[in-house]
Amino acid sequence: MNDTWGIPGPTFLIYYITAMVLVAVLAWFHRKALFRGIRFARVDQLGPQQIAYLNGGPKLAVYSAMGGLRAADAIGTGPGRTLVQTGPLPSGVTPLDSAIYNAAARGLRARDVFTDQSVVSAVEQLSDHLEQSGVAIGAAKLREARAWALAGIALVLIGVARIIDGVANGKPVGFLIPLVFFAVILTIALYTRKRWATDAARRHMRSLRDQNRHLSPSQSPSFATYGATGAAMGVALWGSSSLYTMDPAFAAEAEVQRIAATGGATGSVGGGGSDGGSGSSCSGSSSCGGGGGCGGGGGCGG
Amino acid sequence: MADQPAGGHAPAGPATAAGPATAAAAGAASAKGAGAEYGVGIGWRPEIAGFVTELPGLRFAEVVAESVHAHGELPSGLEALLARGVTVIPHGVRLSLGGAEPVPGDRIEHFAAVAERLAAPLVSEHIAFVRAGGIEAGHLLPLPRTREAVDAVTANVRRVQRSLSVPIALEPIAALFDWPDDELTEAQFITEILDRTGALLLLDVANVYANARNRGTDPEELLDQLPLDRVAYSHVAGGAEHQGLYHDTHTDAVPQPVLDLVAALCARHRPPALMLERDGDYPPAADLRIELDAIAKASGYPAVT
Repeated sequence: MNDTWGIPGPTFLIYYITAMVLVAVLAWFHRKALFRGIRFARVDQLGPQQIAYLNGGPKLAVYSAMGGLRAADAIGTGPGRTLVQTGPLPSGVTPLDSAIYNAAARGLRARDVFTDQSVVSAVEQLSDHLEQSGVAIGAAKLREARAWALAGIALVLIGVARIIDGVANGKPVGFLIPLVFFAVILTIALYTRKRWATDAARRHMRSLRDQNRHLSPSQSPSFATYGATGAAMGVALWGSSSLYTMDPAFAAEAEVQRIAATGGATGSVGGGGSDGGSGSSCSGSSSCGGGGGCGGGGGCGG
Repeated sequence: MADQPAGGHAPAGPATAAGPATAAAAGAASAKGAGAEYGVGIGWRPEIAGFVTELPGLRFAEVVAESVHAHGELPSGLEALLARGVTVIPHGVRLSLGGAEPVPGDRIEHFAAVAERLAAPLVSEHIAFVRAGGIEAGHLLPLPRTREAVDAVTANVRRVQRSLSVPIALEPIAALFDWPDDELTEAQFITEILDRTGALLLLDVANVYANARNRGTDPEELLDQLPLDRVAYSHVAGGAEHQGLYHDTHTDAVPQPVLDLVAALCARHRPPALMLERDGDYPPAADLRIELDAIAKASGYPAVT
């Protein structure tokens, strides 16, 4: 019988693996270049909400502000999981603080705070400033980086087509199936591994975390003692789980999602913590690279 | 007295006032740190580590010995304090010196290793028991003030002292009740133990206040009976009244009568160091500073905030 698509199975497997590694490596280098940032950009003068944005994006920035407002006893939760004002707005607040505080006056549902128009624009204002300072990755660059997921999708589609045609052709596809599976993982990694901080900012973030180790949930920090800034910084550096340490009832009522402050993955994606710190796509790609071992089997590439 | 609270702030550093007495008290063992005045300190707890680190004038703190790894990494924040030259005293809570059985060797080893690790000039533990017959009480329980209890404590303290290269200070605890078979007064009981072990005294002013108040006695009377020249340092803590009894909670503000008793103690013989002991329900930083300043004012030591 003829080879599927006129390409022998082992040859196709080699092509396929090469293409996958190529996509992963090129995407990684492209990201490196895109996410470099300004070398001497500083993060130590940034406020908690800005740090939070760099570590976990818009949601963590909002949670950081909510942590500060809660610690200052300015907001709380009301019936129906809404936000309510519980005290005056403290002085020296950011536009994001004001936006959330005003949303609380309207009795907005806590989970809807992220889509509230004034909150959204306050976050945009915050992120624009950070981009200009070379510590945050702009939306355009992130889009560019995520465009590599298209290459991943192409790989998946080719693989699936080959499996279908191979099966129709009566050829074994046992090695191709796991490879396509890896291609799917690579695609997801290229698409979902969002990040906000440039590499320059990330390097500084590590020392900032060291300086603020006392705010880590592992110390069960007393946010009553550290005050609003401490609470906001705790969320910024250690993720939204700090809100559960600080005020479990509030966090639960406000349906606070657990967002890790990894500066990489958005919390729920498991691999986030193991990130080597630089190219965020590499953990995904290297596991794909490992798939190379499959190529050894001859005659079963579909 | 040379070391009356002068009202104004004494300049930092002079070891003159309390020097000779303290040196005599610590003279039994290593002279390291003897004669030094540490002023006002605070109990280091992970929950408020960031606050403690930022106290500009801090020269001494205390850490619960059982919370420190003898050989592993030190809790962050504690490391920073040591690097700054702050003296950190390990305070044991689980040795059960008052237990009828000997203190387990591994606990003593850990205690001594932590003291070395922190390069502490002294260590402290309670005159109390926390376990009996293998059952952990989870609380510091008071001893009956009997000669038998003195013997038991003395034997245990000596056992611990053999492993220590620095002096140990013993802290009498607050108790809501007295055992019916007490043979000695509080002062006799404490003095006897100190005499027989050569240990220093960690005097908890809030305990003195709580015990006196709950028994309807005058706390200053006890101060007059205790060997105040052997006080290594003092605890000052808050408490609250509940159903007619005063509880030494460590989670409330330090009440004025306790601060008054600090002043009364310092008027008799000022300890080289006094510290705020807060163990939970931590208030805003500003409130903690007010408490530290109040202790400084009552004792005549410079403010550390």
